[in-house]
Amino acid sequence: MIKHFLNLEWKQFKRASYFQKGLAIKILLFLAVLYFGGIAIFIGGIMFFGLEKAFPDVDPIVMVNNYLIYWILFELMIRYFMQQLPVMNIKPLMIIPIKRNTIIHYLLGKTILSFFNFISLFLFLPFSIVLLFQGYPVINVVLWFIAIMCINLSINFLNFLINKSNTVFYGIASVVIVVISLRYFNIFDVTEPIGKLFNGLYNQPFFALIPLLLMLGLYKVNFDFIRKGFYLDGAISKKVKEVEATDLSWMDRFGSMAPFLKNDVKMIWRNARPKQVLMMSFLFLFYGLIFYTQDIYRDMPAFLAFASIFVTGGFLLSFGQLVPSWDSEYYKMLMSQNIPYRQYLESKWYLMVVAVAVSFVLSTPYIYFGWEIFGMIAAGALFNIGLNTFITLFGGALNRVPIELNTKAKAFSNTNGFNPTQLLIALPKMVLPMLLFYIPYKLINFNAGLIALALSGVIGLVFKNFFLNKIEGIYQKGKYKTIAAFSEKK
Amino acid sequence: MITVSNLSKSYNGVQVLNLENLDIPKGQSFGLVGNNGAGKTTFFSLLLDLIQPTTGYIKNKNVLVHESEDWKPFTSSFIDESFLIGYLTAEEYFYFIGELRGENKSDVDSLLAQFEDFFHDEILGKKKYLRDLSKGNQKKAGIVAALIGNPEVIILDEPFANLDPTTQIRLKQIIKHLAEKQGVTVLVSSHDLMHVTDVCERIVVLEKGEMVKDLATSEATLKELEAHFSN
Repeated sequence: MIKHFLNLEWKQFKRASYFQKGLAIKILLFLAVLYFGGIAIFIGGIMFFGLEKAFPDVDPIVMVNNYLIYWILFELMIRYFMQQLPVMNIKPLMIIPIKRNTIIHYLLGKTILSFFNFISLFLFLPFSIVLLFQGYPVINVVLWFIAIMCINLSINFLNFLINKSNTVFYGIASVVIVVISLRYFNIFDVTEPIGKLFNGLYNQPFFALIPLLLMLGLYKVNFDFIRKGFYLDGAISKKVKEVEATDLSWMDRFGSMAPFLKNDVKMIWRNARPKQVLMMSFLFLFYGLIFYTQDIYRDMPAFLAFASIFVTGGFLLSFGQLVPSWDSEYYKMLMSQNIPYRQYLESKWYLMVVAVAVSFVLSTPYIYFGWEIFGMIAAGALFNIGLNTFITLFGGALNRVPIELNTKAKAFSNTNGFNPTQLLIALPKMVLPMLLFYIPYKLINFNAGLIALALSGVIGLVFKNFFLNKIEGIYQKGKYKTIAAFSEKK
Repeated sequence: MITVSNLSKSYNGVQVLNLENLDIPKGQSFGLVGNNGAGKTTFFSLLLDLIQPTTGYIKNKNVLVHESEDWKPFTSSFIDESFLIGYLTAEEYFYFIGELRGENKSDVDSLLAQFEDFFHDEILGKKKYLRDLSKGNQKKAGIVAALIGNPEVIILDEPFANLDPTTQIRLKQIIKHLAEKQGVTVLVSSHDLMHVTDVCERIVVLEKGEMVKDLATSEATLKELEAHFSN
């Protein structure tokens, strides 16, 4: 039986849209997987020595155990937002004589192969090997490693429950919030006893039984959960959500653009995929921290300019590059309706501008790094509004990949907008601001660079109509191609 | 109202539609029948400028469909579920279409009020997104949305499929009323010969992209169609 399942999976994998893409993209994807896997292995490998150097008086394994809880919470969060639930196309299997249990075991077993489980493996396997080479007791290390892997898989199964059941979600969320606020207000630091627990796991190898039992228990809970709901209207069905209606009539003041704007807001709010983009773009706000905190970049302001673009441009870049794909599900209707492309585009443009403005306001804490940095973020925001919006919309116009709105993007299968044209378009988005800043900076001074960057945005705004006309032209020219591409089944 | 001239569509050299001449006068209820692959949806897609004709043209109220967009304000359609915006509720969708067609909320509301029995209390006020409605209810919403904004031409692809018997009968009344009383040109396609003969004044049979019959509906039409399709 399993053989048949594997055969089906293989076909699904081989015939998936992202695999039918060009060779170049396959190679790039492969490299990306290698890259992330490699980073994890590398970090795992040097973690021991790094910790030993940074905290000479604490045993690295104790240090790791102390902070393991944060890694677990982080993993849980990332998984909640990113990991696809294991939905096998179960409907056609329901009426065939296969034991339900077999299907469910298979379904759950499949999740073990998720990319997310491998991150932990790649991180802790090299770390454990280093521990062994350093002469740590073999039994302790091996059982500790197994325990960590069991915890890892427990998270994997827990995530399924969190996603499927609101009770579990709110339960876990409130525990996490309580723990964090207790620590934040210095009332009680839970991390310490938890750290002790993990250290106990290492010191008393037979404790490894506990995570193992935990994992098996969660597996059982999941199994029962699916088993109980193994009907079309049960666990495998899509969740039907109550409508969250909000009154958006205040947006009517935007005139002829209002219907589109209202629609876009609803689109983002009510669908999994754009929500994910919104979350990701929020993370972009912290991008600056990587660059501004490092002294090396202080002397390479062009890179700071690069980072500043991302601080305010997260939403702009990730949402904008997929215009018009966001409307791919009902594009035919839009095209047969009385819709001027211009209003459609302008609405998307305003959305991006508002997002940049909001990000800019949220980025004010960066003043902490000095006014120079903040000036750079401001100039970057102007560039984003005045030029980057148009470059991104232009890139999107060449992008004809349909999007399933209410499905989360899978890690590494999200190749939408990931084709040679997109890569070419991405280039000016990154390099142009660096050049705009760097050339006047080199020739005159830092402030000149800032002014040039900011000015480019203002000039872009002046030519708004010109740019929008050009983009509109592309839309018109590509109309039939776009309709055909969007109506292709995935 | 609609003039078709030398219209053909080919994909990779294979012709899927070839109509030499077709005139649909204003206020006619026009039915299109044919087996799968006969070219019905292709014809409607050409009519809506969703695909490009290989040769020839369609004129909608003297507007060249594939060159100007001026036919859009007076033409509306429901082809399939991809005409619905899944994340809106039925009401929100109707208002959205209304806004696109220059109608305000109360215009739309008064139109919807006429279709209360058509909806059978399953569409409005349900707090459900369109994507969560059943196929039949989605269709009802789509069809009614196509009536918003006083269109002069309405195109419905397979409007009877997936509908329950009660709604089918009501839909027939609605279509008849539109053509007879309001002078709207209605184009429908269907696999159900009985419904088409009930509703349409004129029925065209397509076969492999060619027009093989053009009938003015009479008592004998249903028999003739049945005879045609049983061979």
